[in-house]
Order: sequence, then structure tokens, then C-alpha cells
Amino acid sequence: MRGPCYDRPRVNKAGQRASIPTHGRDPVDDRDLVLGAQRGDRDAFKTLFERYHRRAYTLALGVVRHQDDAMDVVQDAFIKAHKYLDKFEGSSSFYTWLYRIVMNLAIDHLRKHRRVKPVELDEMRIESDGDDPLLPRILGGNPGRALLDKQIRGRIDQALDELSENHRAVLVMRELEGLSYEDMAQAMSCSKGTIMSRLFHARRNMQKRLLDLIDHPSAELVAELTGGVEAEDTPANDEAPAKRVPAARSRS
Amino acid sequence: MSERGPVKAGAGPDVPSAGADLELMEHADGEANGAADGDPAGADVAARIGRDPDARVKVAAIQQIGELVRGHLELSADAVHDAKFAAMWRRIDDQLEAPATGLWSRVARWFDRYRGHVITGAVSAGAVAALALILRPGTPDAGFAGRPGAAIDVRPVALRATPEIDSLDTPGGSSTVINLDDEDGHTTVIWVTPADTVEGI
Repeated sequence: MRGPCYDRPRVNKAGQRASIPTHGRDPVDDRDLVLGAQRGDRDAFKTLFERYHRRAYTLALGVVRHQDDAMDVVQDAFIKAHKYLDKFEGSSSFYTWLYRIVMNLAIDHLRKHRRVKPVELDEMRIESDGDDPLLPRILGGNPGRALLDKQIRGRIDQALDELSENHRAVLVMRELEGLSYEDMAQAMSCSKGTIMSRLFHARRNMQKRLLDLIDHPSAELVAELTGGVEAEDTPANDEAPAKRVPAARSRS
Repeated sequence: MSERGPVKAGAGPDVPSAGADLELMEHADGEANGAADGDPAGADVAARIGRDPDARVKVAAIQQIGELVRGHLELSADAVHDAKFAAMWRRIDDQLEAPATGLWSRVARWFDRYRGHVITGAVSAGAVAALALILRPGTPDAGFAGRPGAAIDVRPVALRATPEIDSLDTPGGSSTVINLDDEDGHTTVIWVTPADTVEGI
């Protein structure tokens, strides 16, 4: 069945980000596409896919932490969305509905393919140092430039991997989708206080891991940041190279 | 503001603790009410941020962590080649259900949509029918009209009675338990309905 030919804008990757709304910019509103897809128009559904697949993938990747698994989650999410599209009544935006499907599938996926120790144990470990405050420190320089550093990105990956499923899910929902505490509590079927606690611990642990990298850089990182000049004679673990990191990074 | 974590005993406003930092986090996330909303606690947090440089750095750290996590995940997603998503669409397209066109398809979709209601209605009707059969007039009472000469059951009542399930705790859903007794014995019907977590699913 061929439906109307939708004007599909070439949305660039940045345009698919959560922080940039697509409504009002796209020639065809999501609601029209949903109505078309509900009538069986695959082109309309394909347009919805093209609009949101990468954003959905980012969300899934943040939760499941594995590229192939994230692809599977996104694929299943769109199939499920299409299957139940006739029950979608538009009380929220299509993407809000979709991300809840993605999030549910991602969490289900983690439970079915658990590669880490059970959540309860991990959460107990984290709660045991529950009174630790945030550290009054930030990474020097521009976060955008910091993301050019492979080791910093590797450490972010490592820190995300080390979070429990629940802590990571809350952090990803908040940072990627900007969900309110109340919305996250609904999505995860828990109290707002639990969401706050998880988010706080997730952020504090991320901060510890990242600051640890700056405080105790590897010789490779020191060499990279200093252009190899001081790599041999820099006492990497004894001084506070964090102060040098922003200046070194400014080269890029 | 609401549902804050515990503040360490004796911790003043300038003594860092997880509880006090939770308030900073609420503020950084835009979840805290300010003085303009008549919330004195929100005003206290704003004042603390104003006078405490450490508090300001912590708020900046929260925002920075957000930027790093978001940026890192978005860059990771951008690294996936478009061809992979194109292949994903082909797989999705292959699996999409054809739209219902015939009468039978429409009936099937209607049933799929209201399956829960239909089955609940059927079970309810069955339960009512069973009750009507059990309670119909003239049913001999097994307790008094046993066969003449049959041995008297001297076991305690609790042991003579068939175990019954009265209720079932089903987190994330609701359940209905129906106990039926008839000439074939005792039957328990358990009907579990999962709660909707996503609209329509």
C-alpha cells in the first residue's frame, strides 16, 4: 500500500538529538505520520523511523552498553511500536511513547542477558557509602574538548559500565532525555526519592571515576597531553596534573 | 522541594553531606522551587550557592557530568554508519504486519484489541454459571445426605477441606482468583492481568 509522499527532510545527526526539538521544523508533524502509519502507510512509519532511530539508539546504547544489543533493542522497539500503533492515542508525543518502549526493552534485555552481578548487590555496595558528598571539583576546560580525548571517553564508558542497571538507566534518562524526577519515577515504577538517590549516586560515582583519571593519569595520557615531551620524567601519580590538562587539551 | 535524603546529624549548611548535595542536585536539575515559589528551603539552597564557592563548583560539576555523558553517548551513536540503520529498517520492514483489510482481519484486530475484556467477560460468565449450578435448589447436602453406612470422616475440618487460594499477590498487575466446586471436584481459576506500563501495550 502506497501512501502520500511525505516530504522527508534530511535531518542531520545533530538534529536528531534530544536537545533539539523536531516539532515545528519538520514539514510533516509526527501526529500526521502516526495517523498515516495507523492507516497502514509504511512510508509514514519509515519517516518516523528515520526521524528517531538514532536518538532511540543513543538511549538504548546508554542503558545496555553494547552496540549490537542496542541495535537489537531499537529494532524490536520499532517493530513493537508499529504493532501497537493503533493503540497509541496521542496523549504524549510519539517519541515519548517510543522512548518508553525502548527503555522497557533495554531494561528487559539487561535482565535477560545479565552480564554483571545482580542489581541488589551492586546497589547495596553503592548505598554503603551513601553519605559521601559530591566533590567540589570539575574537570578543567571545555567538556566538548574533553570528549576528544580517547582516555576520558574510555573512562566514561568504564564508569557507565560500573554503574548498576538502575543507576545507569536513571542517569541516561536524565542526561539524554532531560526527564523530570517525577517522569523517571513513573517510568521506573519507583518513588521520586529513589530516583533522586539513584541519580545522585550515579553522578557522584561518575565524578569519582573521571577525577581519578585526571589525578592518576596513565603514562600514555600524560604523553598525549604533553606531546610526549614530559612523558619520561613526569611524576604522573604524585603531582596534580589536572591543572595541566586544560592547557594541554587546548591544542585541539 | 521534596523527598530529600537524610542530612548528616550536626551538619550545618556549610558542612558538605550527601543530603545537602541532594538539594544542590535538585537545584541544578531545575527541580527545586525557589524563593519566588514561597519555598524557604529552595531559597536556602539558592543562598548557599550564592555564598559557598564549593556549592557553585558542585552545581557546575553536575552539569559537566551531564554534558560529558550526553556528549559521549551521542558521539558513540553518531559513529554508527547509516548503512547499519538502513539494514535495520529493511529488517523491520520485513517484519511489519500488513494492515488489516478483510473482514476477518478486522475482526481479529478487534479481538486482539479487546481480548482482555472478552476473556474477562467469558470467565465471569462461566463463574456465574458455575455458581448457579452449585446453588440451584434441591442439591443434596453432602454433609448430611451421605450414603447410609458410610464411614464418618473424623479428620479435623481443616484437613478435610480442600486447600483454597483466596488471593494472589501479583506485583505489576492484578489478579482474580475464582474457586469452583462441582461434582468433578474443586477447580481454581487464576486470572492475571499485567499492568500497562506503556500506553496501549
